[in-house]
Amino acid sequence: MTKKIFRSIFIVAMIVFLSCFALIMGVLYNYYNAQQESGLKTELSLVADGIENVGIDYLNHIDYLESRLTLVSATGDVLFDSQVDFSEMENHAERKEIKEALINGTGQSSRYSSTLTKQTVYYAKRLSNGSVLRVSMSRYTILALIFSMIDSIVIILAIALILSVILSHSLSKRIVKPLENVNLDKPMENDTYNELAPILTRLEEQHRQIHNQREELKERKNEFFAVISNMNEGLVLLGENRMILSINPAAESFFNIDHDYIKKDFILLERDPKINKMISLAEESGKGELVVSRDGREYQLSASRVETRDKVSGVVILIFDMTEKVFAERNRKEFTANVSHELKTPLQSIMGSAELIQNGLVKDEDIPQFVKYIRLEASRMVTLIEDIIRLSQLDEQTDFIMEEIDLFAFVNAELESLRFVAENKHVTLSLHGKTTIIKGVHQLLHEVVYNLCDNAIKYNVNEGHVIVTVKEDNGNAVLIVEDTGIGISKEHQLRIFERFYRVDKSHSKQIGGTGLGLSIVKHALQYMNGTIDLESKMNVGTTITVTIPK
Amino acid sequence: MRNRFDKQLSLLNKELIQMGAMCEEAITLVTKALMIGDEKIAHKVSSTDSGIDQMERDIESLCLKLLLQQQPVAGDLRQISAALKMITDMERIGDQATDIAEIIPFLNGKIIKECEDISQMAQAAIEMVTESVDAYVKRDLTIAQMTIHHDDVVDNYFIEIKKSLIEMIENKTVNGEYALDLLMIAKYFERIGDHAVNIAEWVIFSITGEHKGD
Repeated sequence: MTKKIFRSIFIVAMIVFLSCFALIMGVLYNYYNAQQESGLKTELSLVADGIENVGIDYLNHIDYLESRLTLVSATGDVLFDSQVDFSEMENHAERKEIKEALINGTGQSSRYSSTLTKQTVYYAKRLSNGSVLRVSMSRYTILALIFSMIDSIVIILAIALILSVILSHSLSKRIVKPLENVNLDKPMENDTYNELAPILTRLEEQHRQIHNQREELKERKNEFFAVISNMNEGLVLLGENRMILSINPAAESFFNIDHDYIKKDFILLERDPKINKMISLAEESGKGELVVSRDGREYQLSASRVETRDKVSGVVILIFDMTEKVFAERNRKEFTANVSHELKTPLQSIMGSAELIQNGLVKDEDIPQFVKYIRLEASRMVTLIEDIIRLSQLDEQTDFIMEEIDLFAFVNAELESLRFVAENKHVTLSLHGKTTIIKGVHQLLHEVVYNLCDNAIKYNVNEGHVIVTVKEDNGNAVLIVEDTGIGISKEHQLRIFERFYRVDKSHSKQIGGTGLGLSIVKHALQYMNGTIDLESKMNVGTTITVTIPK
Repeated sequence: MRNRFDKQLSLLNKELIQMGAMCEEAITLVTKALMIGDEKIAHKVSSTDSGIDQMERDIESLCLKLLLQQQPVAGDLRQISAALKMITDMERIGDQATDIAEIIPFLNGKIIKECEDISQMAQAAIEMVTESVDAYVKRDLTIAQMTIHHDDVVDNYFIEIKKSLIEMIENKTVNGEYALDLLMIAKYFERIGDHAVNIAEWVIFSITGEHKGD
C-alpha cells in the first residue's frame, strides 16, 4: 500500500511539474516571438522611411542594427545587403516574402535552417521607387531553446525529483501509519480513519463469534473427555491413515501405554497382526470383532468404520473387559456339570442295589445291608440337594432375619453337636473366649460354624486338636478355627471356595461331604458382610479366621 | 519435497514394524505347534514366512527408492540403512521358524516333555524378538541393550539342552534321531536369539550412529 501511495504521489508530482514546465515554456516563447516580430516590423518601417527620405545611401550609415537588411530591386537584383557581399547574391525575385511585397506592398515568410535549430524570419516592404526592403532575423527554435537550457532544466528536474521522492515517501508513510497501528485483537479500541469503522465493527463481531464458538467447542470437548475417560470400556479413535486421534485411560491400560501416542500411527501402539487385521476388516466392511486374552484377562475388541460423506474417515475401536463374564459363564457351566455328576453318582448306586435286590441276586441275610446302603446314598443326595438349595438361596439374595446372637454360646452349642464325630476321629475340641454378641442370621451362622468345625475335624489327623477362639477386635467379632490337620497346599488355597472343588478328589467318597461347604460359608459370610482368611501349612494345620461386624 | 520424504519414511517405519510383528507371530505359532505337536499350525508358519519374504522385498525396494531419489543424509540415511540390515535379520527369523516347523512332523506328534527347557528357551527367544521390535518402535536404547543381554539367557538354555540331550542318549532314554531333532530345534531358537540381537544392534545404530560390531 505504501508503495502504491508513494508511486501515485510521485507520478502526480512529476506530471504537474512537467506540464507546468511545458506550459511556461510555450507561453514565454510565443510572447518573446511576438515581441521580436513587432520590433522587426518597426525597424523595417523606420529603415524604409529613412531610405525614402535620404536615399539608398542611408543604408550605409546604419550599423547598429542586429538584423540583416537587404534591398532588392523591382526585378529581384540585390542592391544592398548589410551582412553578405550583395554583388555575389542571386536574384531574389522568386523569394516568397519579396514576391508578396511586390504584389501586396508587404510580405513575410520564415524558413528553418537545415538543422532545425534556427528559424529565419523575413519581413519585406515595397518602397515608393518599386524596390523592396527586407529585414531578416534568425532566432532559435523552441527545441534549440530547450536544448540550450538543458543544464538548468536537468538541475531543476533533479531537485524536483528528489523533493518529490522524499515528500511522497514520508507522505505515504504518514497515510499508512494509522493503518499499521490498528490493533486487530481489539478492533473497537482503535482511533483511526473513519472509513475503517465498518470493517472494524465487522471484525469485532467476528471476534466475538469465534470466541463463542471456541468456548462451545471447548465445552463439548471437555464433555467428550469426561465421558470417555470415565468409561470402563476402552475407546480408541483412529483418523485417516490410522492416526490416533483420541484414546481413553481404559484403552491406555489395555495397550500398556507409557507415553503420549496422540497423532501417532496406530502401529506404534499395537503391532499385533490380529488386531491390525480386524481394523482392516472394519475399514473394508464396516465392522470387525476380535476376542483377545492379555495379561490373564479376556477382552473383546470391536471396531467400526466412521464415514463422513461416503468417505472412510476413521475407525472407532471399543475394548470390553469380558473376564468376569467369561469366568462367570465357565463357573456356571462347571456348576451344572458338577451338580448333574454329583446327583447321578448316588442315584446310580441306589439303582444298582435296587436292581440286584429285585432280580433276587442278593442273599436274604444281606438285604438289610443293601437297604442300609440305599438309605445312606439317599441321605447323601438329600444333603447335597439341601446344600444346593442353600446356595441358590444365597445366590438369589433371599431376605434372612438378622438377630442378636451370642457367638460364644452359639459356637459352644455347635461344638457339642460335633463332639460325637470328633470322638470317632479321636480329635479333641476346645473353645476359648468370652461372650460376644453379634448381629447375624441364625441359619447362616450355623452353616459357617458347622462347616468350618466339621472340616477341621474331618481333615485332621488321628489324635489331632481343633482349637476354636471367639474374640473381639476393632469392634468386630472374630472367630478363629485352628486345626492340626493335613493342611492345604498353595495351589488349592485360592480355589477351595469354589463350588464342588475338592482338594483330594480320590478320597472324597470316604470322607464324605458335598464340596459345597466352603462355598456356602463364603456366601453366608458375604451376606453378613463378614470376611474369611485362610492360612495353611502342609502337614502342620490350617487356621481360618472369620471376621463378622457387630 | 521433504513432506513427501517424511511420508515415505513413516511408511518404511510402519512396514518395518509390521514385518517385526509377523516375525513374532511366526515364532509364537511355531512354538505353539511344537508344544502341542500340531502339524496344522506348523503349516501356517510357512504361509506367514512367505508373507515375511514378500515384506522383505517390498521394504528393500522402498529403501532403495528412498536412497536413490532422496539421497538422504545423517539420521535419515542411518535409519534407511539400518532398515535394510534389519529386514535381513527379520527374514532369517522367519526362515528359522519355518525350519523348526518343518521338523515338527518328524517328532510324530510327541510332546517334548523330556525337555522342559525347550519351551522355556522358546519363550525367551519370543521375548527377545518382541523386545527388539519394541526397541525399534519406541526407539529405546535401554530396551535394545536389554535384548542384547537377554541373549545370554537363550545361549545358556542351548548349552543346558545340549547337556541333557547327551545325558539322555547315554542313558538310552531317548532315541538318537529324536534327540538330534530336538538339538536342531534348540539351535534354531538360539539363532533366532542372535538375529534379535542383530536387530537390537541396528536399532542402536539408527539412534546413535554407532554400531557395536565396529
